[in-house]
Amino acid sequence: MENACIELKLPSDVYYLESVRAFIGKLCETLKFSKKRIADIQLALDEICSNAVFHGSTSISSGIQLQISMDTRALEIVVRDKGGANTHDWLTPENLAEIQAKRSPARESGHGLYLIECLTDVYKLEANAVGGTDVTAIFYRDVNSDIG
Amino acid sequence: MTGTEFITTRESADVKIIDVKTDLSSYAASDLRKVLENLLMEKVNKVVVNFSEVSHINSTAVGTLVGIAKRLRQNGGDLKLCNLAATLTRTFNLIGASSVVEIYESEKSAIAAF
Repeated sequence: MENACIELKLPSDVYYLESVRAFIGKLCETLKFSKKRIADIQLALDEICSNAVFHGSTSISSGIQLQISMDTRALEIVVRDKGGANTHDWLTPENLAEIQAKRSPARESGHGLYLIECLTDVYKLEANAVGGTDVTAIFYRDVNSDIG
Repeated sequence: MTGTEFITTRESADVKIIDVKTDLSSYAASDLRKVLENLLMEKVNKVVVNFSEVSHINSTAVGTLVGIAKRLRQNGGDLKLCNLAATLTRTFNLIGASSVVEIYESEKSAIAAF
């Protein structure tokens, strides 16, 4: 397997995320990621897709799109949403910094972005052309990239 | 596999034990919240959640457990977790929630901790 790309489209409903998690788990097995790293990738993708559903969609029909690219070096996943009611209000460096600053283990929410940052080798969050957010997560296939 | 049928409750003396038999992503987290909030309404205040059949948990589900633990403590009780796989413990540790919710190796030790 050299360069390959898989695209998935799904409704903006967390009901479908279990299937996405199972799919990425199987794919990562074929790419020979360690079991621990597969769990990390599944969790990061769960968090990214949950954000896309809860914050980047106005209805189930909004839909989210996954672009999964792989080569000998890395697995790259881009999750694209179409934007929620306040996407561009919150997607500013100041607001993102505030979300991180407010994060506390005793809080019920606000941990998703922090987890994604912990679990990915590279993580990028950008406004896209359709008014939503593109989240890019890269996982290197080097076994030494296991996070402790 | 989701739905409240995969989250069942039983009792050991005055402790309610919840057996979770589904992975806890955002969808299943709402089912877990319903079960736990029902226990709060029934004035149950000692709860153990058994994770022996869970292989995945996300931040929404962790947040749900943190929130319910705080409410149970306000009522003089607590929420304790047991039988977590290493990957689940790691998620709690990364978030820092293991400093908020007590985690035990076995159901017996979780019950004994009340």
